[in-house]
Amino acid sequence: MNTQAILEQYIDNIIQIMTPYGSGTGFILDGYIVTNSHVVSGLKEAVISAKKFPRSIAKVIYDDPYLDLAFIQYDFEIPKTTLSLASTNVEDGDTTIAIGHPYGLNYTATEGIVSRASRLQDDLEYIQIDAAINPGNSGGPLLNTAGEVIGVNTFIIQNANNLGFALPYFYVREALDAFEAKNEHNIIRCPSCKNLIQEHTIEDDYCPKCGIKLEVARLRRKGYTPTGATKLLEEILTKLGVNVTLARRSQSSWRIDQGSARIEINYYDNGIIIGDAKLCAIPSKNIDTIYDYLLEENNKLSYLQFSINENSIYLSYLIVDSSLSAKEGEVALQRLINYANKYDDILINQFGAIKQKKDQED
Amino acid sequence: MSWLNFFQTTHKLHHTFGRGINAHISPDEEALFLESFQKFENNEILEAYELFFKSLLNYTDEICNDNIILQRKEDKLHFTLLQGCATVTGIITQQNLYAEANIVEKKFANVALKRYLLERNYQLTYANYFADDAMIKIKLYHDNITMSPQKVFYPLREIALNADFDREYLKSEFKDVTLPQTEHLKTPSQEELQIKYDFMQEEISRVEAKILTLPSNDNTSMQSFLYLNLLFEIDYLIVPKYKIYQQLSKKILEYFSEKESSMEARNEELRRYIDKLKALTFQEFSTNFYEANYTFNPTEKSNFEDVVGFINDSLTKVRWYKNNRYAQIIPTIYRYISFYILYNYGLNPAARELLHILVEVQNSAFFEQLGYPALYDEEKESFAKRTIISRINTIIDTYAVHYPALESFAGELSFGSLNEFSNSFYLLFTNLNFEEI
Repeated sequence: MNTQAILEQYIDNIIQIMTPYGSGTGFILDGYIVTNSHVVSGLKEAVISAKKFPRSIAKVIYDDPYLDLAFIQYDFEIPKTTLSLASTNVEDGDTTIAIGHPYGLNYTATEGIVSRASRLQDDLEYIQIDAAINPGNSGGPLLNTAGEVIGVNTFIIQNANNLGFALPYFYVREALDAFEAKNEHNIIRCPSCKNLIQEHTIEDDYCPKCGIKLEVARLRRKGYTPTGATKLLEEILTKLGVNVTLARRSQSSWRIDQGSARIEINYYDNGIIIGDAKLCAIPSKNIDTIYDYLLEENNKLSYLQFSINENSIYLSYLIVDSSLSAKEGEVALQRLINYANKYDDILINQFGAIKQKKDQED
Repeated sequence: MSWLNFFQTTHKLHHTFGRGINAHISPDEEALFLESFQKFENNEILEAYELFFKSLLNYTDEICNDNIILQRKEDKLHFTLLQGCATVTGIITQQNLYAEANIVEKKFANVALKRYLLERNYQLTYANYFADDAMIKIKLYHDNITMSPQKVFYPLREIALNADFDREYLKSEFKDVTLPQTEHLKTPSQEELQIKYDFMQEEISRVEAKILTLPSNDNTSMQSFLYLNLLFEIDYLIVPKYKIYQQLSKKILEYFSEKESSMEARNEELRRYIDKLKALTFQEFSTNFYEANYTFNPTEKSNFEDVVGFINDSLTKVRWYKNNRYAQIIPTIYRYISFYILYNYGLNPAARELLHILVEVQNSAFFEQLGYPALYDEEKESFAKRTIISRINTIIDTYAVHYPALESFAGELSFGSLNEFSNSFYLLFTNLNFEEI
């Protein structure tokens, strides 16, 4: 099968995984979502999305920092064509296909060659490939030309072109079997003694078997706790009925879809919070009229403003973090969310502005 | 005070040089600002704003420029703030601040102008452009819930600087535009304009003649120094507004930002623009001037270390030209250094006034034409040594309250030649200690 055919056949198995700390890829295997431990960043929950389901919150039920593996549980519909682990050994020179979401470019398949089937890194073997895998590919499957999973794309060597490393399939099998044998969720693997530990047996983050501090246990206990203006912003969004866990794109950015409008809120390092609704693009006719309308509406609007950037019309709310208050922030963001959709419709229907295209799974 | 100052009356500038407020800030600026902060903390909002605005007042010859006018009406504070060709008016209540400035009448706004302003809205943080029935304006709204003088400074600065800049830009870019609300702008005298026009023409001719004296090859950097120095010089000494200022700033910006173009190509762009300046009639030239009050400086306060770094780098270049026997360009570089700094850096008032003395020495003939005593006689190659020393000492004495480690360097200046003077001035200037109390 060629790369494109493999991608199309298995695309429903490919999952995008997001946490406040970053994003990566996962894939459905044996009823779980398999990914890297570093993709879930020691959190108990991650936001997932796939071709067949929208952004949803799912539970991380197994976290293995030793193998850099994690399993996520979610009640999804099993894809028609499921992925399975390889049945034959990987050889040097084999053709591989890495599937993932590098740099947020969803469902990208990258072809490569096995440079070395077994490259030792510490005490673990990895498959070294020459495919140009990138951040965002982490946790995604590495397939052979038969469409079997030969590994989990795990790391790259920084600043080196085309040097990717995947955790071989047999480690994944071993971990899945060991996890299922426990017949319990919320399992952490100790990176020192390699034992699988039930999370509820851990006290003060110490491994009950070997006594080392388990960083993953600490992170899972602590969870993600926003502070300062981020906290206030999330409180305001929650008050407005927004599920902030789903809206959160990173620690400092949120996305809210409302009707045909999409609102992106970003909190920049310079302390400025910008809520931008990128509305439609300017039409090809009666442009002067639409400019008049935008400038006149700016007269009526408080908190918000219309602007144009690169041919698109924006409705925005800008505030400096130290000036954000719960009362005014709630009014402003409520207006932004409501008006964005309303104005998008007005501009498209009354002024012939052009609706923005969006990636379906974006 | 130094004994030399005893014989010297205070030097007063009757003209504006360079950009920015060009006036002294209130001696109580810091105290007023802190008092305002306290009032905001006590929720005495209108009183807090009054003190804040008073901290922004500036003075010329100890007389207030009335760059901000306040009027308290019961539970409201009305204000008018002047920034170049813009007038920002506003009303403050216990709950919020609203300010606006007229930009252009709607009837003058074509599609390109409106597009420009809507794109500008995307760049602004606090203010935005809008239209009412007759006028396109810029407005600012801010609640007072968490207000402090620090928080109101930047929004007000943004609306004022952008209103000023965009009014000038629109007038220079769109030929049919007539600006509203220009009553506060004063036109300089014909005599002053004539001096400035003649000076510009002389300087252009001087640069053209100098270019002919440069080596026939390997002269690209020297040409750049000559052209850029001319533009910086026009900006600082002549202080044009509207079209000349807009285009001049654009040319300088393009020169330094378009690194992908060769230096020859960038020089050629400057030369073409200088040709355009040369072709201006006095009538055309005269439409580019007004005098106005300013509240905010357009440049952020710079680190003095950055200024020192620039001077040291430039003096290294001077030494290179000296070692390679290109002496003809050295006086230009000495002039370029001060003009470049005055154009690009937000200097503290003491540093700015000190550098202005160097500019006066280097351009004595021009200042003499404007009615100031000459600090250097080009023909006799002699300095008004006592005046120079006295003026430096006066500046140092005046600002010693703010910068206790500031010490006069006037006694160490070299008066051997104009080049030696400039060199010693820069070296001593870089050693100044502007550590604040």
